Amino acid sequence: MSEKLQQIINKQNKALSGDDIKIDEVIQLVGFIVGDEEFSVPILSIQEIIKPISWTRVPQTPEYILGVFNLRGSVIPLIDLRSRFGLETQKHTEETRFIVMKNNDDVAGFVIDRLTEAIRLPKKDVGPAPDTVNEEASMIDGVGKQADRIITILKVGKLLERNF
Amino acid sequence: MDEFQEILQDFLVESFELIEQLDQDLVELESRPDDLDLLNRIFRVAHTIKGASSFLNFDVLTHLTHHMENLLNMARHGDLVIDADVMDVILESIDLMKALLVRIRDSGEDSGLEVNPCVARLDAVANGTSLGETVPAPAAAPSTPAPEPKPAVAAVSEEEPDYSGMSDAEVEAEIERLIAVRQAEDAAKRANSAKSSTPSAEEEPDYSGMSDEEVEAEIERLIAVRQAEDAAKRSNKAQEPEPVAPAASAPVPVTPPAAPKSEPAPVAKAAPAPKKVEAKDDGENRGGSAVEQTIRVDVKRLDHLMNLIGELVLGKNRLIKINDDVEERYEGEAFLEELNQVVSIVSLVTTDLQIAVMKTRMLPIGKVFNKFPRMIRDLSRELNKKIELEITGEETELDKSIVEEIGDPLVHIIRNSCDHGIETPEVRLAAGKEEGGTIQLKAYHEGNHIVIQIIDDGKGLDADMLKSKSIEKNIITEKEADTMSEKEAFGLIFRPGFSTAAQVTSVSGRGVGMDVVKTNIEKLNGMIDIDSEVGQGTSMKLKIPLTLAIIQALLVGVQEEYYAIPLASVLETVRISKDEIYTVESRSVMRLRDEVLSLVHIGDIFEVERVFDNSEHAYVVVLGLAESKIGLIVDSLVGQEEIVIKSLGEYLKGIEGIAGATIRGDGGVTLIVDVAALMQMAKSVKSTVGQESAEAKGRGGAKTSPTDYCVMIVDDSKTDRTIMRKALEPMGITLVEATDGVEALNILKQGDHNFDGMLVDIEMPRMDGYTLAAEIKKYNKYKNLPLIAVTSRTGKADRMRGVESGMVEYITKPYSPEYLMNVVKRNIKFNEGL
Repeated sequence: MSEKLQQIINKQNKALSGDDIKIDEVIQLVGFIVGDEEFSVPILSIQEIIKPISWTRVPQTPEYILGVFNLRGSVIPLIDLRSRFGLETQKHTEETRFIVMKNNDDVAGFVIDRLTEAIRLPKKDVGPAPDTVNEEASMIDGVGKQADRIITILKVGKLLERNF
Repeated sequence: MDEFQEILQDFLVESFELIEQLDQDLVELESRPDDLDLLNRIFRVAHTIKGASSFLNFDVLTHLTHHMENLLNMARHGDLVIDADVMDVILESIDLMKALLVRIRDSGEDSGLEVNPCVARLDAVANGTSLGETVPAPAAAPSTPAPEPKPAVAAVSEEEPDYSGMSDAEVEAEIERLIAVRQAEDAAKRANSAKSSTPSAEEEPDYSGMSDEEVEAEIERLIAVRQAEDAAKRSNKAQEPEPVAPAASAPVPVTPPAAPKSEPAPVAKAAPAPKKVEAKDDGENRGGSAVEQTIRVDVKRLDHLMNLIGELVLGKNRLIKINDDVEERYEGEAFLEELNQVVSIVSLVTTDLQIAVMKTRMLPIGKVFNKFPRMIRDLSRELNKKIELEITGEETELDKSIVEEIGDPLVHIIRNSCDHGIETPEVRLAAGKEEGGTIQLKAYHEGNHIVIQIIDDGKGLDADMLKSKSIEKNIITEKEADTMSEKEAFGLIFRPGFSTAAQVTSVSGRGVGMDVVKTNIEKLNGMIDIDSEVGQGTSMKLKIPLTLAIIQALLVGVQEEYYAIPLASVLETVRISKDEIYTVESRSVMRLRDEVLSLVHIGDIFEVERVFDNSEHAYVVVLGLAESKIGLIVDSLVGQEEIVIKSLGEYLKGIEGIAGATIRGDGGVTLIVDVAALMQMAKSVKSTVGQESAEAKGRGGAKTSPTDYCVMIVDDSKTDRTIMRKALEPMGITLVEATDGVEALNILKQGDHNFDGMLVDIEMPRMDGYTLAAEIKKYNKYKNLPLIAVTSRTGKADRMRGVESGMVEYITKPYSPEYLMNVVKRNIKFNEGL
């Protein structure tokens, strides 16, 4: 009986570790557009994606912090990625979305221009961030290469870090 | 190990509870030294702690409590009269005991504190008095707690338990215990037959200096202890060490277990088994306190419960809001009645639930008050004053978190009253007062608040003296002092650095204490009110909300934003006209009855862009916190709502002036004003009250090219818009088009363009020209924006209406392009030179 059990456990372990290898090889990202560029973040760092809802301005904050909004009872900060990246702000359109990202206990919503797609990218196709020293660059985790395009992968931890 | 931790936890919780009561009892004891009940109670505390601590191997604590117990035991038998000096020593030892317990709680061990001096004093008191009186022969024994076998035997025989009432296991344990005790006694006898050990040496046996025989005895003794402990553990695992019932003590002056190492464990732990029932009965008869059914709950669980209730309250608020909306829309429908009922039941139950949970978190304020009799006693001895403390309302309950915060401020206020308030007996007699001063400490409920009042009948506060002291210490200027009311002057005592004491004493004079009071009370959203009369005394009133998590708030509007102000900080709201606002030294103030109130606009604090023109009237919310007041100007008062404070999260925490956020009935987020921070910010904010048109003046800006001019064309007909565009295009100015009033208003609100003028059609869908003009004029920023009506309506009444709604020109269709251009040029002050 216990032998049988052991076998099953072994089997499960094998299956699990096998999965691990697979996950390691491919990273899953969600791509979105801000301004003219396509960015992405790891799919696991996204709590949810919602259509724009009303928010409340919070005084004494940088311009890129639009305020706070109510996500099913939680008060969550809302950050405009356009102005965070130093781009002109734009009126929200039909395609505008709030991406709610989380990193450990930190949660915030980010305004993006539109979503593109979920991307599965082999790990070998992800290159390091370009060697620049400006502040924007530090938000970049790496660059994903696909057949026809290049996708910037953002550091969620950095995005959720308070810098004022 | 875990089991040990568990026992340790229980021990600590129990000990701290016992000690809390102890202080109170001791002070009472001093006034009634012959109250046997009281003495017994105190004795039992020392005994219980001693027993438990020896079981847990806290030798230092055992050592100390053992000597305390000796002393108290003597008092209990009338061998020692408790006077103030004896009491000082007892209190000192209790403080030491507390310190040891704290150490145990923090570090798990009781080493590092010097108890011997205190023990020596305890002994000295015990000896000194006992020798001076005629005492039965063995009375000296307690003072020399050498492991003498005699008292130990006495202790055991005295507690001859009732074997008949025991279970088998208990009997077995008891037998084992007795064997262990016997063994320990034998060992002790052997070890000590030849020498008399000194009190201090007995605690830590010095193995190096022992003879072989002694070492052997010691080993045997230790084995015995271990066995005894095991036995005790088995029989008593779940039982707390109940005190030995004092009534049973034999005429022999029993210093319970005198051989500290070997005896306390078995006696204290094993004895309770047979004695327990008796001790309990004793407790009931004595205290008369009914046995309450209680259960210890981790505070975290209560906090979690409170959070859940918070969510429920928010849900309830939403439900009520939706119910109102539905009621409006489906008036008279049958299902409304049912919905109404459900909503009211849910809201009723929610409120009850909230109150019930709040009640579970409530503690009587007596928990805080208890430590004051002792404090007053110490202070009055230290200061050589006679001070009585009268406490009323100690059963008043308030939230645990507040009870924890309120202690420090009260300590400071009472110290202050003792030191500065109450005069010395000579001064009091000279002033025709009674020799002893009185400090009253009262607590009572007042609405949703608890009021704590500290009243002394001392010398009172002298406003002029406070002012001159403050000027001396550069806290205020002379000018400020002149305009200060008496109440404001009293408030000076809360300023950091303020002190009236000529010299720094151990009690006060550093100018910190009252600042702490203010900060802590502010943290609790409380208010402080001081009343004082020179020579008559001072009364300080602290008004504190009952709970912190769910609060009543006043919702106010400024432009299109809303803010929630904790109602606890709102004194009143007044509606004033703009003429009532005066400017004094570039600060706005108003007169409120006989006070001058400084004003600040909420928009200035929270950087709200003021686009609307506020009407002739303003609403002022008078905020009070601790001892200060301020008037906050808002655009509108929305109403009162029950709100739940939510944090803004890690990312946005610590924003000045914002205490948190709440979710409103409509699902939107409303920020909660941090009144304390707001008052601070108000000091540095430049007032813009009364100068709202400043922005409008700067609107023109520098025009360097024709494209810097911007005109909006509002017309629902595309043809008309094109005609106007064609007519104005030669000027080279920027033109923006809108198809109706609503759209035009939206474009204005967005503020993408700085308009210099508008051409407005009158007949338009959704919002016509008149309404549009009236709406635009509401905006402060566009008050002076030239609006030109372009219409086919030519009636005189139409023109009049145009003027009334704020149009500056009235062009009737059809018109020549040149005419239109000229009118526009004139109105936007077009610079031809560009």
